[in-house]
Amino acid sequence: MADEVDQQQTTNTVEEPLDLIRLSLDERIYVKMRNDRELRGRLHAYDQHLNMILGDVEETVTTIEIDEETYEEIYKVRTKKGVNLSSQIFFCI
Amino acid sequence: MEVSHSVKERTIAENSLVILLQGLCGRITTVELRDESAAVGRVTSVDAFMNVRLAKVTFTDRQGAVSHLDELFVTGRNIRYVHIPDEVDIRATIEEQLQAIHRVRCFGGRDKGRREFPCAKHR
Repeated sequence: MADEVDQQQTTNTVEEPLDLIRLSLDERIYVKMRNDRELRGRLHAYDQHLNMILGDVEETVTTIEIDEETYEEIYKVRTKKGVNLSSQIFFCI
Repeated sequence: MEVSHSVKERTIAENSLVILLQGLCGRITTVELRDESAAVGRVTSVDAFMNVRLAKVTFTDRQGAVSHLDELFVTGRNIRYVHIPDEVDIRATIEEQLQAIHRVRCFGGRDKGRREFPCAKHR
């Protein structure tokens, strides 16, 4: 059975910013998100909305707690097992 | 395997990763919301806009209070993460969903039925 009405084409050249992400498929990437969140994980899939499927992913949320005299930064690191789909990517590096 | 009745939704789903979420119907997953609450339950349906319906849900809100709900509807905009169960084969699930859409689209065979793309080239 042929793929009749499948209009998706994949080119090998880098033409638009999303193509750069394609180069990172199956690699470990670092994703910066809104609200001081970061993800590190292996990129399995992405789409035009930058929804991403990441595996072995770790999410880091940075919250700042201010002591009265000292300025302290507190990191909360949460490790998620398995695969995640994220729908709120702001940009990724 | 339920395919949306709307052509618009089918097209949107077919061209994005939502199609994978649609393939998760019937599985128990965790949906993390943007406001840091989380819902664990069985996925009833997912539409093209990532609106998710869950059944038999354990809902943990921002403060940590746990509640049990028979059904929960989450707007796509409010979803931050969807956990994909380990046993799910992502590529196979996506292909199955695409085939389901293809079956719906080509219903009735080549020369019968109203065609979704009037001048579609058949390979």
